[in-house]
Amino acid sequence: MDLHLSDRHLAFRDELRAWLTANLDRPWREHLRDPAATEDSLIELRRAWQNKLYRAGYLGMDWPAEWGGRGATEVEKSIFEAEIALADAPPILNILGIGLLGPALIHHGSEEQRRRFIPPMLSGEEIWCQGFSEPGSGSDLASLKTAAVLDGDHFVLNGQKVWTTFGPWADWIFVLARTDAKDRYGGISFILVKLDTPGVTVRRLRQITGESEFGEVFFEDVRAPRENLVGHVGEGWRIAMTVLAYERGAVALAYSAKYGRDLAQLAAACREIGRTDRACREKLGRLVVENEVMRANGIRVLANLADGRAPGPESSLEKLYWSEFDKRFRETALDLLGPGGQLLRESRFARADVDWAREFLWARAGTIYSGSSEIQKNIIGKRVLSLPQEA
Amino acid sequence: MRFELSDDQALLRGTTRDFLAAEFTLERTRRFVENGAEGHDRTGWSRLAEMGYLGLTTPVDAGGQGLGAIELAVVLEEMGRMCVPGPYLDAVLAAAVLAAAGGQEALLAELHAGTKLVTIAREDAPFAGSAASPPRLEGKRVRGSKYFVPFAADADALLVTTADGVCLVSSPFETTPLPTIDPAQRFGAVTLEHAAVRLGPPTLLERPDQLAAVGAAAMLLGIMCKLLDTTLEYVRTRKTFGRPIGAFQALQHRLADMLLRIESTRSAVYRAAWSVDAGDAATALACAAAKAYAGDASRLVCGEAIQMHGGIGFTWELDVHLYFKRAKTLEQHYGATETQIERALAAAGL
Repeated sequence: MDLHLSDRHLAFRDELRAWLTANLDRPWREHLRDPAATEDSLIELRRAWQNKLYRAGYLGMDWPAEWGGRGATEVEKSIFEAEIALADAPPILNILGIGLLGPALIHHGSEEQRRRFIPPMLSGEEIWCQGFSEPGSGSDLASLKTAAVLDGDHFVLNGQKVWTTFGPWADWIFVLARTDAKDRYGGISFILVKLDTPGVTVRRLRQITGESEFGEVFFEDVRAPRENLVGHVGEGWRIAMTVLAYERGAVALAYSAKYGRDLAQLAAACREIGRTDRACREKLGRLVVENEVMRANGIRVLANLADGRAPGPESSLEKLYWSEFDKRFRETALDLLGPGGQLLRESRFARADVDWAREFLWARAGTIYSGSSEIQKNIIGKRVLSLPQEA
Repeated sequence: MRFELSDDQALLRGTTRDFLAAEFTLERTRRFVENGAEGHDRTGWSRLAEMGYLGLTTPVDAGGQGLGAIELAVVLEEMGRMCVPGPYLDAVLAAAVLAAAGGQEALLAELHAGTKLVTIAREDAPFAGSAASPPRLEGKRVRGSKYFVPFAADADALLVTTADGVCLVSSPFETTPLPTIDPAQRFGAVTLEHAAVRLGPPTLLERPDQLAAVGAAAMLLGIMCKLLDTTLEYVRTRKTFGRPIGAFQALQHRLADMLLRIESTRSAVYRAAWSVDAGDAATALACAAAKAYAGDASRLVCGEAIQMHGGIGFTWELDVHLYFKRAKTLEQHYGATETQIERALAAAGL
């Protein structure tokens, strides 16, 4: 066992820290707390920040050199994510493009597709959203019905996608569409569609936070050029699943950095408002303990990546851990702060440290998106514990 | 960077597993447990001594193996799997205090050889929150009472915590047995009116307390791993309503939760153990978090193991209760959860 970062990784981390010190002028939470901030202004801020990271060579680091890569691995990528979380930098805007579509194009796309789509994806010029979930197909994604029928040089799409994160701001969408009604998995294809194509309608959905980060996308006889098919017809499910597997990395490390910062703010708030009795200390202390265990999980994933090992069971458990913890954390924060924790940021009484009310509401999303907690537990039961399956 | 054990550590795991399977079978534990009057298992103890386990973490120049917290975690995880009874962790911690204090080479040598049993007497009252004051060391004598002293009736010497440090006293002791739900651990209350040697200030316990947290958490980890295995085997074979109960989602999701707690405990325990050995800045926080988390996790995992076994899970015959009870001892001693939470807050500067 050795949990020290190697000299090479330490050097990378230090260089990144220095860059962040020089380039990050204001922590993200201050932008979020700014009463003048709007959803649009925050999106533009994130776009500008992403562009800065891109120009400094920090995006797509683990991809081939011609696409922004610099011989980095998932270890550097994980360190990068942990460090930007620690520095409280704005989250990367085009996370769905870079996190999911980028790897899909690199592994399954054509040379033309890579050349056309990767640079503007990394720079933030073109924002991507993900067209997977449908009104009737959430957890059972493979039952999706949005149809794509080949008509000459074009696919013609009809159907509806929903819970489309960044839909209202995106320029493009990558869609899982049904090209064969009879083949559940083999009848799904992976198609790129420009959102200003005639027949596409994007509608904002208002979330419980009041924001509209996600939306729904309707396709009515939408024509997408055949060259926008990624891989072959019928390969969509396989591509989506392999791409989701790239979405690993030591996210627990990044999350524990973020939660550690918010926990310090919460502890300071408790001292300030006089919540220092035993019961309050124990609530706070349990959160500290659970966050530290999350950090240990992250360190383990990172060490396994650095050691060239396939992630073990701790990797499939990561999402379940942080998303369930997030809910407990934000609930407890409101317990400790009292009704003042519910104040919206425009209130002059709201705390200036963290937007506790928004975080409290946001925490409800994490156990639903990207595979709900129930789906995660099904996967663990089946793939890790090999439990007998119902007939 | 590497999370996996080194070759030497993996070898230690293998030899320990084989050794325990041969010497500390569950049948033997059963005999120990059933015979409440029987004290310390001297035969088993001398085998542990012969194999060098008693001096595992004592520095080489103090006559030990000079191994670290990682190796201790490896051994205790295996002991947890086998639900090994007896004061192993207690003796290792006593050795750590004696080695740190210095000047106790003869006693340390006998401890390592298994010819003398030394444990630490810490609890000043039978219940938490009592206003009882610790024993007082006046001149060369210590006076007072200690509770939940591990294997007090068999101990040849005790390390007694006082208000201003730790002192050493030797048998004979006037002890009252304190039978608890855990028959694998024997406790006694001790009335002290003894000649004592002052070993040092409370800071002498800093590293032993970290080893205690890592060690107890590692044993809890082994207990949880074993109970998950046992429960998985049961839910795959036990049929109700025409199918194995493990096919019911109501159980599958809870089993997934058990695995989540176990794997997270594993990350926390070995990260903490590594921190102790590496002298990492986060050691205090990592140790406190590992012990507190392992204690909470064990409640869920051990409780679910009984629940999922149904009626048989509530019988004396099934081994599950032995693990369930051992886990409760480990949770409430070696720095109980509340104590670890306080330590975590202090270590995090909050």
